[in-house]
Amino acid sequence: METTGSVGMLLQILIGGIATGSIYAVVGLGFTLLYRAMKMVNFAQGHVFMAGTFLGLIIANRFALPAIPLLLIVMVLAFLIGVVLERIVFRRLYHDHDVFIVGAIGLGIVLMNTVRVFFPEPVPFPKVFGERLVEFGGARFQEAYLWVIGCTVVLVALLHSFFTYTRHGRAMRAVASDAEIAGTVGVNVPRAIAHIFGLTFAVAAGAGVLIGPLYFVSFDMGDMVGLKAFAAAVLGGINSVPGTILGGIAIGLLENLAGTYISSAYKDLVAFVILLAMLVFRPNGLLGTSTPVKV
Amino acid sequence: MRNKLAAIAILSAAVAATSAQAEDIRIGVIAGFSGPGTSYGIGIRQGAEMAVKEINAEGGINGRKLELVVVDDGSNPGQSVTAMQRLINDKVDLIVGGWGSSQVLAAMEPAERAGMPYVVVGASNPRITTEKNKWTFRVLQSDTLQAEEVADIAVHRLGLKRIAVIHDANDYGVSNRESFVARMKKLGVNPVEVQVYQTTDKDFTAQLTRIRASNPDGLAIFGTIPAAPAIMNQAREIGIKAQFLGTTGIANENLITLAPKASEGTIFATMFHEDVDPDARKWSDRYVKEFSGGSQPPRPVLAAWEYRAIKFIVAPCLKKAGTDKDKFRSCLTTWKGRIFGLPDEAYFNKTNHLVQQSVIVQVGGGEFRAYKGDK
Amino acid sequence: MTHQPTIRFGRLCAALAVLLVLPFVAPNYVIHVANFVLIMTLPVIGLGFITGFTGRVSLSQGAIFGVGAYVTALLTTKLGWSPLATFAPAVLGAITVGTALGGPAMRLAGLYFVMATIGIQQIVWIVLLNAVEFTGGPQGVRSIPAVGVGGFEIDSTFSFYFLALAMATASYMLAKRIIASRMGLRLRAISDDELASSAVAIDVTRNKVLALVLCSGWAGAGGFLYAHYVRYIHPDMFTLEPSILLLTMSMFGGYRSLEGMLVATAILESATEYLRPFGEFRMIAYGMLLLLGMMFFPKGVLSLFPRRSPKPAQLVKERTSDA
Repeated sequence: METTGSVGMLLQILIGGIATGSIYAVVGLGFTLLYRAMKMVNFAQGHVFMAGTFLGLIIANRFALPAIPLLLIVMVLAFLIGVVLERIVFRRLYHDHDVFIVGAIGLGIVLMNTVRVFFPEPVPFPKVFGERLVEFGGARFQEAYLWVIGCTVVLVALLHSFFTYTRHGRAMRAVASDAEIAGTVGVNVPRAIAHIFGLTFAVAAGAGVLIGPLYFVSFDMGDMVGLKAFAAAVLGGINSVPGTILGGIAIGLLENLAGTYISSAYKDLVAFVILLAMLVFRPNGLLGTSTPVKV
Repeated sequence: MRNKLAAIAILSAAVAATSAQAEDIRIGVIAGFSGPGTSYGIGIRQGAEMAVKEINAEGGINGRKLELVVVDDGSNPGQSVTAMQRLINDKVDLIVGGWGSSQVLAAMEPAERAGMPYVVVGASNPRITTEKNKWTFRVLQSDTLQAEEVADIAVHRLGLKRIAVIHDANDYGVSNRESFVARMKKLGVNPVEVQVYQTTDKDFTAQLTRIRASNPDGLAIFGTIPAAPAIMNQAREIGIKAQFLGTTGIANENLITLAPKASEGTIFATMFHEDVDPDARKWSDRYVKEFSGGSQPPRPVLAAWEYRAIKFIVAPCLKKAGTDKDKFRSCLTTWKGRIFGLPDEAYFNKTNHLVQQSVIVQVGGGEFRAYKGDK
Repeated sequence: MTHQPTIRFGRLCAALAVLLVLPFVAPNYVIHVANFVLIMTLPVIGLGFITGFTGRVSLSQGAIFGVGAYVTALLTTKLGWSPLATFAPAVLGAITVGTALGGPAMRLAGLYFVMATIGIQQIVWIVLLNAVEFTGGPQGVRSIPAVGVGGFEIDSTFSFYFLALAMATASYMLAKRIIASRMGLRLRAISDDELASSAVAIDVTRNKVLALVLCSGWAGAGGFLYAHYVRYIHPDMFTLEPSILLLTMSMFGGYRSLEGMLVATAILESATEYLRPFGEFRMIAYGMLLLLGMMFFPKGVLSLFPRRSPKPAQLVKERTSDA
């Protein structure tokens, strides 16, 4: 084994880990946004991500769109769908934790199996990021990986600016902190909540389009990603957006590192063990703040 | 509540009475139509439908028509047991089908206890046919033999010296790896790297990076769709130039759809290829014509065994022995004959396994081609 | 929805009468499905101690159920123990694993607890799958013997039904007793308000761990039944998916209602079978069942049935009119 080999190997793993970690981070954002606003966990988030991928697939197969327009169109559509679903479905669920959990699980099952009826087998996603391979320091990978990382950075930056600098964004943050008070200062609370749901859908669907060209898409891809994205949000601190991003990347890296240097069979196990250990020592996550949460 | 029960009881009796009059022979089919094995289940069902249609068109068996009772097991072992139980209670005459070793191993148990003939077409785990199974028969080549044949080809015909293995953690992957590595060692070659993955994994950077570092000239992939084509794609991207090898897990047309460039040149043992003999080609053409244009593309590889099992093994025995289960079973144990797609005569050995030679193919020009080799 | 602390024997006997007659009038296939329903009531009741009475969401029940199944399967197939003798080890094994892994997690706030249980589920499953020498790994464990009671083998769908029914009934009665007891009172108090409970000297942590013990023990008992019915087990039968389904069963019936959980289990466990007429859309129908159920009957399935006990206002009226 040459020495460039081991550096190349490390680099390969790091880049792969950051790319998949970005996906977990973005989907995890959906969990975080919703949790901050409603203190609820949407168990269907992974399946929304999967549905977003297929939405992108259908559109990309119909109209040969380049990457960025496709991403934007899918995200806008997903946002609208999220808002509509909030009105007809989620509004009847989020009055109670348990009801929301079971209802979301049901929604996830419906989404997954609806997609399955149309796409019972894994299918390839159009290579909207091109097919070029990049060689760098002994690592070889698809250019798409860099696109994924880049888009994630841009997305997070945009979200951050939105929440910090725009009035609407600040209104949504107010609702997230305390809906009642926000209402008294004139924020349209129901609309803000609807938009928050829409945003979580948009974000998940966007992640779906990013991941599509990297791997095949199949109706059951939402489970594992949803799980890891949830882990990312918890790891980073469920009420912290930068924490979630950090958590996602951390999980992506940990997985790959553990899988390569410890054992590929126990790859997932190592990630979960580290996660559990983390929870024991820092129950609020890496960057989470300990807001008094009613147990 | 009681009224409902009474109603169910009366209804069941009525149904039983009416079906006793129709003299259809009922063949159960268990496979996955919702879940990871859907690709494979579809092929199995198509094969069954084609065979039954033909036999019925020719007048059925001794004047009796064949009827298919298809049950979905979602590629889940627990559901497979329920599916089998259902068919047993439904009193079908026999069952032809079954995909996935875990599902078949689970469903075998009630079948053996109830004395229900079960002809397995889609599971290659060697533990299915041992001294213990009396009612379960398997027509598919077992993992052990396939993996050994591929190992022979790799070492002797291709002259590979540095072979790496990547396999699924499930029983298919594990039993293939065991047989393959054991055979390789007997031939004097040690694997340079062995890596595992979970069936639902999508990213194999970790495993492939290590494999690349071991500089292999051959990579055996023991897994199924979609993992295998993903592994092939990612392996090529990352710079692995090794020759891909495999067994029936990748015997699915979807392999080429999902890894069009990366799968080129892969050599593997499959269950069926149309170029083995002219009859195979004729059947395949007919099959593709019949099932093209539907919502699902045709899959000759998977349909072939189901079709052949029904047409050439089950039907003749039904004709000879009728639907009495004991007599039918005896007929199967003594069955032998020629089936298109298999070079030699086939027969069931003591463990109810169909003895046959593997069919080796190579992916070329976007399709499966019979592998001739240098020998 | 208030819960009934005492067992209403009238209703129980009526229900049992129907259930006892069922195997004699219904087709074998229906009994087979009923067996699964009865088996699953055990882990669901166990889960009820955590979800209903400490207000937590646990997604590891499927794995602990699996631990019970594996303990009995391995003891009977590898060491030749008689199935009845393995019941206690199965339950104890499940309790040990469940408490060892879940205990430290109990002090985590709700959301982190969920995450921890997911972690537990995955860890147990991965170990079952990969510890090949010990558990057989992906090959599973086959030819598990049937439970034998004094020479009689409980080997058919019909005979198993009675075993399962007996265990389900015993579980129900035992659970009711526990809930009505002081421990149950303490658990409910904790679920309502942990801070207040600790203020009245309830040892919150100890009681939470007790709930965990009950939850795991019941899961183990269910696993025992499952192994001796299906007679072949495999790690993929104990993944996150069944954990999610068990969770929905414990929540679908209504907060804190044991009867609700039983009805929910009956409805949801048999759903994959009675939804077969939907064909390809079977699982979509299942998801819609859950979703619509929660949207329109958030108080649980039993809210559909009229309450037998009179409303408080009516009670007062009746009492005062006597005077």
